[in-house]
Amino acid sequence: MTNIPKTNLIQTQDLVKRFGEKMAVDQVTFQVAAGEIFGFLGPNGAGKTTTIKMIVGLLQPTSGSVEVAGFDLQEQPLQAKAICGYLPDTPNLYPKLSAIELLRFVGDLYEINHEQIERRSQELLRLFELTDAANDPIDTYSHGMQQKTALASALIHDPQVLVMDEPTVGLDPRSARLIKDILRQLAERGAAIFLSTHILEIAERMCDRIGIINDGQLIAVGTMQELRTIGKGETSLEDIFLNLTGGTEYAEIAEVLK
Amino acid sequence: MTVTSTPGSNLWFSVWKLLRLRGVIFISGFRRSRLRNKIGMVVVGVVLLAILVAAFVFSLLILNTLRSPQLTQIVSDPDSLLDSIPVLIVTIAFIIIFITSFGLLLQALYLAGDMDFLLSSPLPMRAVFLSKQMQAILPNYALVMLVGLPVLFGLGISQGYNFLYYPLVILVLTLMAFTAAGLASLVVMVVVRIFPARRVAEVLGFFVATISILCSQSGRLANFDDISGEQATQALNQLGRINSPFSPLAWAGGSLSAIGQRNWLPGVGLLAITIGLCVVIFLLSLNTAERLYFSGWASVHTSTRRSRKTRVQHSKPPNRSLLATSVKRLLPAQVQAILIKDLLVLRRDLRNMSQIVTPLIFGIVYAIMLVRSGGEPPPGRGEAPAVFMEVLSNLMLYANVGISLFVGWSLLSRLAGMSFSLEGKQYWLLKTAPVSSLRLVAGKYLVAYFPTLILCWTFLLITSLLQRVSLDTLAYSLVVVALSVAGVAGLNLAFGVIGANFEWEDPRRISQGTLGCLGALASAFCMLICLLFFFGPPILFDLLDFPTSIGRLIGIVLGSTASLCLAIIPLWLVRKRIPRLAE
Repeated sequence: MTNIPKTNLIQTQDLVKRFGEKMAVDQVTFQVAAGEIFGFLGPNGAGKTTTIKMIVGLLQPTSGSVEVAGFDLQEQPLQAKAICGYLPDTPNLYPKLSAIELLRFVGDLYEINHEQIERRSQELLRLFELTDAANDPIDTYSHGMQQKTALASALIHDPQVLVMDEPTVGLDPRSARLIKDILRQLAERGAAIFLSTHILEIAERMCDRIGIINDGQLIAVGTMQELRTIGKGETSLEDIFLNLTGGTEYAEIAEVLK
Repeated sequence: MTVTSTPGSNLWFSVWKLLRLRGVIFISGFRRSRLRNKIGMVVVGVVLLAILVAAFVFSLLILNTLRSPQLTQIVSDPDSLLDSIPVLIVTIAFIIIFITSFGLLLQALYLAGDMDFLLSSPLPMRAVFLSKQMQAILPNYALVMLVGLPVLFGLGISQGYNFLYYPLVILVLTLMAFTAAGLASLVVMVVVRIFPARRVAEVLGFFVATISILCSQSGRLANFDDISGEQATQALNQLGRINSPFSPLAWAGGSLSAIGQRNWLPGVGLLAITIGLCVVIFLLSLNTAERLYFSGWASVHTSTRRSRKTRVQHSKPPNRSLLATSVKRLLPAQVQAILIKDLLVLRRDLRNMSQIVTPLIFGIVYAIMLVRSGGEPPPGRGEAPAVFMEVLSNLMLYANVGISLFVGWSLLSRLAGMSFSLEGKQYWLLKTAPVSSLRLVAGKYLVAYFPTLILCWTFLLITSLLQRVSLDTLAYSLVVVALSVAGVAGLNLAFGVIGANFEWEDPRRISQGTLGCLGALASAFCMLICLLFFFGPPILFDLLDFPTSIGRLIGIVLGSTASLCLAIIPLWLVRKRIPRLAE
């Protein structure tokens, strides 16, 4: 593996998002370096998606800052967005466009030249096994196919930063494996990958560092080794996660249901 | 846990539970709705009740008039006409319920998304189907009753029909409703087998919207003043033809007339046949539809993917349209991309097209009316001052511009006013892309401007050619239309930014509320102001016998300034909202 200088491609500083009285994200600070896969974990409603939306420019932070590749998302949003790819948790795509039309559209939005768009589109469609359905309207696709189309559109401009919200939801094991391989390859080429997931096995096996958010606050960040230290000696990520987020009481409920 | 009885073993109790659930959802929706919506619903209820009473009184009066000696001269056989009224009402009720049930059942069985949940619950399948049928029947049934019942009851009272006639009217209409819905469910199964349910719903929505508008506007084209007595007689006598002895619907309607007139034998006989047929058809349809649904026969629609596969393998480079090619060198790639994408989506989604077709129909109707009038102002009683008539005559010279702009204004209200909202939940794709607000607005502006301009110019050219307008007037009108549309597009787009709504499932339900109305009114007002600037100087110069060309030149300068202000200022005022949309 080549030595890549560890510059931070994603950097949040005291990120806060408040919806009225509710504090969705509270003083969240972390960095994701080039070549790193960063896993973002947290219970439902912890603030994962809100944080992600602020990183990709879908939501304006109440306070704090987000920098993508050194560009402040508030000051230089276009430069920051140009090097960022995003895969949302629900792949809402234009239902009446085909996959190939969507990729051309997204390619044009990122101002890639047409030859490159064509080449990249064909590559990605082949990679995600969408070539046969490339001209069909997206509303005829299964959830998995839509997810793969969304991922293809996130990768069309070969982003330096990839932000993914639950990337493997709804995918068959083969596609999930493919995504993991792609993420690893991208990271090896120096991209920063930020992904949120509920599948702890993915986080444990794939991510270089993991952040755990609970009630809007980032309660732990580090490598698995560092998290084990924080997690009072727990060895598996599941135990560390439940220990930190207070999920152990569910074991009692499970006991009652037996 | 001790199980005392199998849940859902009682069919009708299960149907009742499912219908009650619908009722609970409706009541809960009503409770949670805004106060103005609640008031609106109550007002609609009162209005419907008023319509019911008014229809009853009106039909009673009309039916009594049919007995008058004057009308007897027009209608050769009033008895036959009166006998055919129940047949007519029953036939119309059947057709309306059949068509609307088709749409509602398609929605309830294939698009509502609750069938899997309901069928996996411990409820008899028949109960689920029956409740879905009821959901489809009840709204239409209520509507048919609202219109049909007053007419039929009015007929009964005016003709002094037997008392049995009244409950039998309700029975026959109910039977018709169930039979129509039963048959509709079967047709849904067959259609869904061939085409995807969502596509069928889109096509149906498009046709229903188009036909509704065509029907509502066709009256404007009819020359009721020119109808002769002979034509009226012919038209009324045509009604008798519906009472065919071979039509089961005529048997149903005929049974009502016969029983009402105390012709017991034919009446009871026809009624028995009607009841038997309806029950058999409904039960057969219900049973078959259930089987077709449960076996999955209807869900396995013919896939078109195989035929497309070959086409994809020989995929050509991007298929750039003529419009795309012509704007390619003028516009940035991002603006082009938005323009092409929006036009593709608009064209392909028939739910959008059904909204866009409305102004087109309006335009055609008004253009025909203008051409029919010969482009001359109505003469009146000849008491108007000569100056007024001259101004009116000059205005009529530009009436085709008015019609073109009216069509364009209706289209702009949709294209520009809803341009951002139409992105819906897909807006994240634009928002996460490195597209500046200026380019985003430029793309959306052109999406509204180009189709509207093409439509307006087409109307203008056709009406001008039909009216044989001079070439200089046509050239001036084309410029005026282009500039006016440019101005109003900016204003509408600004309102579209303020009222953007990205949370919708069906584009026909993008509600802009009062803001949408305000935008349409404001743009209509501003368009009139623009036209005043454009046409004021030439008309004034004509009146003062100065050269019209100079008047037009002044008009162009003033009008284009107004249009430019209209295009830029509102968008400039809302510029800070654009980056914050959908947050």
